[in-house]
Amino acid sequence: MTIKRSAAILGLVLATIAGNALAADPIRIGVPVGLSGANSVVAPGVVQASELAVAEINARGGVLGRPLELVVADDGSGAAGAQKAFDSLIFQKKVDVLISMETSAARNAALPIVARGKVPYIYTSFYEGRSCSPYMYVNAWVPEQQVPPIVDYFAGELKAKKYFLIGSDYAFGRGMLAFTKAYIGKTGGSVVGEEYLPMDGTDWTAIISKVKASGADALVTSTAGGAPNVTLTKQLRAAGVNLPYGNLAVDEGTAKGMGGDATGIFISASYVTGIESPANKAFLAAMQAKFGGELKTPNDLTVPQYEAIYAYKAAVEKAGSAKADDVLKALGSVAVDGPRGTIAMSAQHHAPLTMYLGQVQPDGSVKVISSFKDVTPGAQCPDLKS
Amino acid sequence: MLTLALDIATTAAILFIVSAGLLIVFGVMKIINFAHGALITAGAYAALVGMRLGLPAWMAPFLAFMVGGLLGMAIESVVVRRLYRRPLDAILATWGLGIVLGQAVIVGFGREVQFVAAPVAGTIGLGGTDYSLYRLLLVAAALAIGIGFTFVLNGTRLGLSTRAVILNETLAEGLGINAVFVRFLTFGIGSGLGAAAGALITPLASVDPNMGIPWLINAFMLVMVSGSALSTLAVACLVLGGMQVVISTFVSPILGGLAIAVLAAIALRLRPEGFARA
Amino acid sequence: MPDLLTPRRRIALAALAAGLLVVVAPWIVDTYTASILARAFFVAIAALTVDVLWGYSGVLTFGQSAFFGIGAYALAMTFTHVGFDAGGIALAFGLAVIVAGLVAALVGWLSFYHGSTPLYASVVSLVLPIVLVQLIYAGGETTGSSSGLVGFQTFDLDLETWFRLAGLATVAVAAAGYLLLHSDAGRILAALRDNEARCSYIGINVERLRLGILVVCAIVAALAGLGHAALGGVAAPENASFVFGTQLVIMVALGGRGTLLGAVLGALGIELASAYLSGSLPFIWELIVGIAFVAVIVLFPAGLIGALRRLIPGDRADAAPRLQTAAPLPRADRDMMVEARGVTRQFGSLAVLNGVSFSARRGELVSLVGPNGAGKTTLIRCLADGLERTGGEISIVGRPIGRLPPHRLVAFGLGRKFQAASVFNTLTVADCLRIARSRRDPMSWFDRSPVLSLPQAARQVIEGGGLGDRLGDVAGDLSHGLKQALELAMVLALEPDVVLLDEPTAGLTRAERSAFGAILTDLVRREGLCVLLVEHDLDFVREISSRIIVLHQGQIALDGTVEQVVNAPLVHEIYTGGHVPTAETAS
Repeated sequence: MTIKRSAAILGLVLATIAGNALAADPIRIGVPVGLSGANSVVAPGVVQASELAVAEINARGGVLGRPLELVVADDGSGAAGAQKAFDSLIFQKKVDVLISMETSAARNAALPIVARGKVPYIYTSFYEGRSCSPYMYVNAWVPEQQVPPIVDYFAGELKAKKYFLIGSDYAFGRGMLAFTKAYIGKTGGSVVGEEYLPMDGTDWTAIISKVKASGADALVTSTAGGAPNVTLTKQLRAAGVNLPYGNLAVDEGTAKGMGGDATGIFISASYVTGIESPANKAFLAAMQAKFGGELKTPNDLTVPQYEAIYAYKAAVEKAGSAKADDVLKALGSVAVDGPRGTIAMSAQHHAPLTMYLGQVQPDGSVKVISSFKDVTPGAQCPDLKS
Repeated sequence: MLTLALDIATTAAILFIVSAGLLIVFGVMKIINFAHGALITAGAYAALVGMRLGLPAWMAPFLAFMVGGLLGMAIESVVVRRLYRRPLDAILATWGLGIVLGQAVIVGFGREVQFVAAPVAGTIGLGGTDYSLYRLLLVAAALAIGIGFTFVLNGTRLGLSTRAVILNETLAEGLGINAVFVRFLTFGIGSGLGAAAGALITPLASVDPNMGIPWLINAFMLVMVSGSALSTLAVACLVLGGMQVVISTFVSPILGGLAIAVLAAIALRLRPEGFARA
Repeated sequence: MPDLLTPRRRIALAALAAGLLVVVAPWIVDTYTASILARAFFVAIAALTVDVLWGYSGVLTFGQSAFFGIGAYALAMTFTHVGFDAGGIALAFGLAVIVAGLVAALVGWLSFYHGSTPLYASVVSLVLPIVLVQLIYAGGETTGSSSGLVGFQTFDLDLETWFRLAGLATVAVAAAGYLLLHSDAGRILAALRDNEARCSYIGINVERLRLGILVVCAIVAALAGLGHAALGGVAAPENASFVFGTQLVIMVALGGRGTLLGAVLGALGIELASAYLSGSLPFIWELIVGIAFVAVIVLFPAGLIGALRRLIPGDRADAAPRLQTAAPLPRADRDMMVEARGVTRQFGSLAVLNGVSFSARRGELVSLVGPNGAGKTTLIRCLADGLERTGGEISIVGRPIGRLPPHRLVAFGLGRKFQAASVFNTLTVADCLRIARSRRDPMSWFDRSPVLSLPQAARQVIEGGGLGDRLGDVAGDLSHGLKQALELAMVLALEPDVVLLDEPTAGLTRAERSAFGAILTDLVRREGLCVLLVEHDLDFVREISSRIIVLHQGQIALDGTVEQVVNAPLVHEIYTGGHVPTAETAS
């Protein structure tokens, strides 16, 4: 521990020295995130992950001899805020690249501005898939990668045949469950109920009564994050529903906060803190050293952000410049080692990922039940070359 | 069928708990308190603080009532008092206060979703089906609130003064009733009830800075339909809450979520004279 | 010296200057500010419609965001699913206008009906965006659900062009709005805000007018939303949301309601400030806006513009128009003016009127007397509003009133003066009178007329009552007596055959009262009016009446000449609280 701390301090000192040496002409990374609005819970963690990556890279001499500089902007978790944030980052702050975890509404609102500014954009949030732009790369999962581990496990190990699906009525909820439904069909199971509540809805009474009456033997949910997800879980438990329960929208931190109600939930993710790899252990230690008591538990939304900055570094170094055209060409072909393993955004601007099936334990931790190596995202953007 | 009946009863009870405070304020002051949603949130955070202090769970609603009551009295004396003659402006000012309160909660408690444990957990067997015990407890809470305030209005001196102010304020003033004080107290009680509602529903839900807002619109519509009597509010909660459950169960929960707002608006249009109104 | 800067020229100059500024600005401000402002212009146009609805006509609306969203989605959905070509563009515009218009008509029908309250209209405006956003969420691929629609081909204009287009559109909407709202006819909106009941009783179809205003505002907001989506290349649910609807209200409130300029400044200011500040302090920013909003509502309801106006007092009053005498209308060729048969009015089980029958002829001044609660005011209401009574028949100038609302009965020749002086408090005396004349002299939507034609009787009340040289004064500032005179003049401006007066002399001095009596008797004698008067003061009644009807417990206790009634023992019993055995007619 003391050695690591000394190393971190040394790193900071080096960063200062390197910063001075490389003072001229930084490469600016724009990070539009939802500091307010729906994403405001996860946004501080995203910023922390970005800060760690930039500090580490600068401590080792930057990229092509130039230091990295973070420019964070609030996108309000929505379209209007994203338009302002991207305008500001691209045209006022003149960033070289945008790397961000955002809502789909914010991403969609931003894409026309990104196209106008012709800036590379790495999107680091899992999402419902099939968002395509020559300027955008994605290094997080899509339904094709997340759903199969849970459904395969339910159908194979737990012999589930009849499924009940519950979601929030928005693009992610509907998109995930549409894919889930189709996939369940492929495994020979059937969907006995599929219900949605408005996105801010938190009263699941009628739906839960239907679950209990349906005779389903497994449950898969995909709600909006935060309150809808938590209220659904609590109300399911209060109503005595104890079916195998796959939750497509819960992360480790939230599961821990829910206490006993979360016990037994199955999750599928490309990152859990329990990944047994040197890269992940080093990452967690560095996060702990840098942020201490302020640390937000790293999760499936913040770790891709950290890795994306390294992917950008690799692309710039491969291209030999930070010019947008060159970087965009290189981004699809570089691979980086990070906490989640070796990742390349080589599949139609998306990335094959190792997925983990985990189950929440009574103490709130997530136990990895099995892992699935290099799950392909499938044909996300057939019209894009590379 | 029994489950449906229980769903309707418990949903109506929750709606009643959430709207009672708004109704009391509207009944006496003819003002819609749009900070009600933020007060519900404040009540949930009061329950959270209570839990952290190690208070027993049954005390949470009472703690929340005190917190909400104090907030309400502060709001009344600083802002609302100046707006009695401008009811539409009162809506706007209280909405603004709701924003301020919500942001203050964020600054004080952070943005993340937090949790309060339910005082009773699990289900109870009822006629062949098992049902959430805490939801059934809320029916009792709703009855307690309804009966309690009916008693206060009909059986106490304060209640008498309040009803006098509702009926004819000028006359009440002439009889030596301090209408300003009655309104001050009413707003405090209504706000306290809102906060207590937050503490009561939060074991079913979560604690987050925006949790009260989705309740506001439904509570508002129910109060508009009910006018100024707790008894009509109870009927409105049963009928419209029942419609919500029935539509959610047999048609779609999305339409169910809109049921109260849309049906109440149409009901008001078709039978405006059928409901007591401002 | 003639005033070269008439209000119309002043607004034309201001619009020209603002337009020039908009054209020049892209060369001065940086790209970032320009792109924020370009979008903010479309928001400002939506804010202008909120100001017209709320600031001018008094309907607090949270729902203009819904129409903005309808416009945005009309464009995004058409360009996504139909395509971006001439036909697609025409379809997008057509859909925006038609859908917004139809939805506004539906909302207007829901919100505005005889007897609706402003609070109810706000309620409906609140429900609208909530329902619409839910539809967008449920729309799947068609609407893009929560992610919105993006990636469609749209107009390929550079930012400077967009800025100028949006800016000039804002200036044009604001200037046109100003001209319309400050024209003679535009003052009706302020009249609606001040006193809707008075509008009905001078024959204005309040519900239809409000509906029309809403439809126009909805279409303008939809076109603003369409522009916003075309510029940004995206339509998102939040464009239609209730939260955006409240933000529009906040912008108007901070800028200054009822000024148009305030709406524009509020929208541009908040959009700019939030773009620059919210990134660095997202939560504090919302806290600041919230506190500022509450403070402005409580302390400075007139907003920024209102506060500036107080600092810079200027002569803003329009020149008062010249009075003219209108050519008299041919009088109805009838003698029987009012006939009531078996009129009843029940509130639940309580009968306030119970079988009231009487009639009144041309040239009669009939006083309705009776103790409190006898049903006098209720009877007046039943005569003036076909929806009031529970049973019985009433004819005015020979035409049965059926279930017609007040504004239709004005066309029958009915005028009603309320108990408390009911005028338009923020309008000038001249505007009050002009609006009262609107049925006879159609008003211009573009201009202010320099003359004001009034019938002889109304002119007499104005000039005799001391209002002749106060035509430019704001009605709310008049003394109680002058307000009563103004209201009477407004009623007479309708050139009615039947005038209903509810305690017109309450609160007047003795001198004012006898002057008033003289005017009334003169009108009845010379113009042949039929006047029905509710009055408490028996001495006054005795001086001026030609006939007296005594109401007691919802029935006519006595109907006869002044002498018959004044000397009847029954009247003394009623007024001293004695028992009345049976109703009788002494005429």
